[in-house]
Amino acid sequence: MISILRVIKFAFQNFWRNFWLSIITISMLILTLLTVNILLVLNVLSDQTTKFVENRVEVSVYFNKGVTDIQAANAADSLRDLNQVRDVEVITADEAIERFRDRHANQADVLKSLEEVGENPFGPTLVVRAKSVADFDLILQALDNPQFSKDIRERENFTDYKTLIDRVRTITSRVRLFGFSLAAIFLFITLLIVFNTVRMSIFIHREEIGVMKLVGASNWFIRAPFLLEIVLYGLIATVFVAAVTLPSVAVLDPYFSVYFDGPVGILSFFQADVWRIFALEFGILSLVSMTSTSLAMRQYLKV
Amino acid sequence: MARRKLAACSWQRVAGKYFKKVFLYVIRKGLPAARCQLHASHMIKLTNVSKIYPPNILGVRNVNLHIRPGEFVSIVGQSGMGKSTLAKLLFAEERPSSGKIEIGGWDISRIKDRDIPLLRRQIGVVFQDFKLLPRKTIAENIAFALQVSGERMKRIKEVVPQVLTIVNLGDKAKRYPFQLSGGEQQRVSIARSLIHRPKILVADEPTGNLDTKNTREIMELLKRINEFGTTVVLVTHNREVVNALKKRVVTVENGEIASDVEEGRYRL
Repeated sequence: MISILRVIKFAFQNFWRNFWLSIITISMLILTLLTVNILLVLNVLSDQTTKFVENRVEVSVYFNKGVTDIQAANAADSLRDLNQVRDVEVITADEAIERFRDRHANQADVLKSLEEVGENPFGPTLVVRAKSVADFDLILQALDNPQFSKDIRERENFTDYKTLIDRVRTITSRVRLFGFSLAAIFLFITLLIVFNTVRMSIFIHREEIGVMKLVGASNWFIRAPFLLEIVLYGLIATVFVAAVTLPSVAVLDPYFSVYFDGPVGILSFFQADVWRIFALEFGILSLVSMTSTSLAMRQYLKV
Repeated sequence: MARRKLAACSWQRVAGKYFKKVFLYVIRKGLPAARCQLHASHMIKLTNVSKIYPPNILGVRNVNLHIRPGEFVSIVGQSGMGKSTLAKLLFAEERPSSGKIEIGGWDISRIKDRDIPLLRRQIGVVFQDFKLLPRKTIAENIAFALQVSGERMKRIKEVVPQVLTIVNLGDKAKRYPFQLSGGEQQRVSIARSLIHRPKILVADEPTGNLDTKNTREIMELLKRINEFGTTVVLVTHNREVVNALKKRVVTVENGEIASDVEEGRYRL
């Protein structure tokens, strides 16, 4: 117990004696952790973006003029029976012309053309929303059934949406890959800096280490302060990053919510697992740093 | 004559009456014994020991040396002849390339790293350059050695003044090494080496940096330590010191033992 307390004391002494070196190392650890946390935010955001786009994908199916609203409703019912369908909205011919008028209220020539036609040129319309974008192909195939296909004038081309979603997915996966690479690079630099810090620390304390060895200090007693010092760096970096990340997320979350027209969930993501997230980050950082410290000690601390 | 001169040393006059009392106190009630105790009829036994440094530099070759408990042995020889290598082999700073080294019946020829601290707690080591920590007072220097060995603070507070009294530096406990003379610094170094009540004291050129007066003081101190039962191995090339001692002298030449005389003189 006495030895453990002394190891802690020596670790703190090392920290203060190499204050600026400690600050540089901690700064690098902070950069690495910040990158990881930005990566986490990006992950939530990219998920949200994909979901946002997918939720807004709807395919309109236009029926021929003269098809009754009942026939359209029957078609909607048969689509609703499909598990893949989230929602089907039926727009009657009258609603369709009203919506057309509303949409082109400022375009007099368009409205004039409609007047010239004289009668309602629209048939009923179905607006189909799928549970998943991948299900659209299957849903639209169901409409190829001869029972409906003869009444359908036009189907919106789903390929455009698919391309858009694929593009969003590609961009988000690239952003993730970039963030991941950046975190990996920072982690590697951290490893090098920790290695160098320990090397310098051993050099600075070479006289004390020599005396320790001379008078029979155990090997673990000589090594432990260096390991503990590095864990201390990790702890300070994690606390700092948590103190910066959580308020930042709390400030940014409402802005993202406005942008995405609904809750994004970044704050709730961090709030739900705050201990687990930062404990895991601290654990991994400590493990990596301690590995680097062990390598440096093996190389330069001959005990 | 030499003995009279040594007895006249100022520090000894002051400490003389306390010396035996304090030293015996430390020996009897001092620090807890280490796990691996040294017991044997031969305190130090080297059998066909050779040390070759890479790529092919000779340290010592085929050394056979037996030192009994309580002996005072001087290892002499010119620089680069292997004296210090021999000393380093005794406290496992170096491992032999071949041969067997036994310390108190413990074969340390292939000693594991984790066991070296146990050995070092039973062998006091003193160097020419003192190896004191400049930012610590002399009391702190000695306390540091106890702290890193896991000794309790209460015990450290007891032991530090005792060993400082043994080396007659009780009144200078709060001074820093740079405020002391070379001889005083070496006495601190010896005091530090005594904290674990070692059965063996290895002194590698302890008087190398000292003037005649300080050399005498240090040698008198080493003799006193030996009189209380500690085996002393003195590595030196100081002719006067060896001749004044009138103890066993082992002469090393070209890495080999050239002579081993029970009550010898410096003959190089």
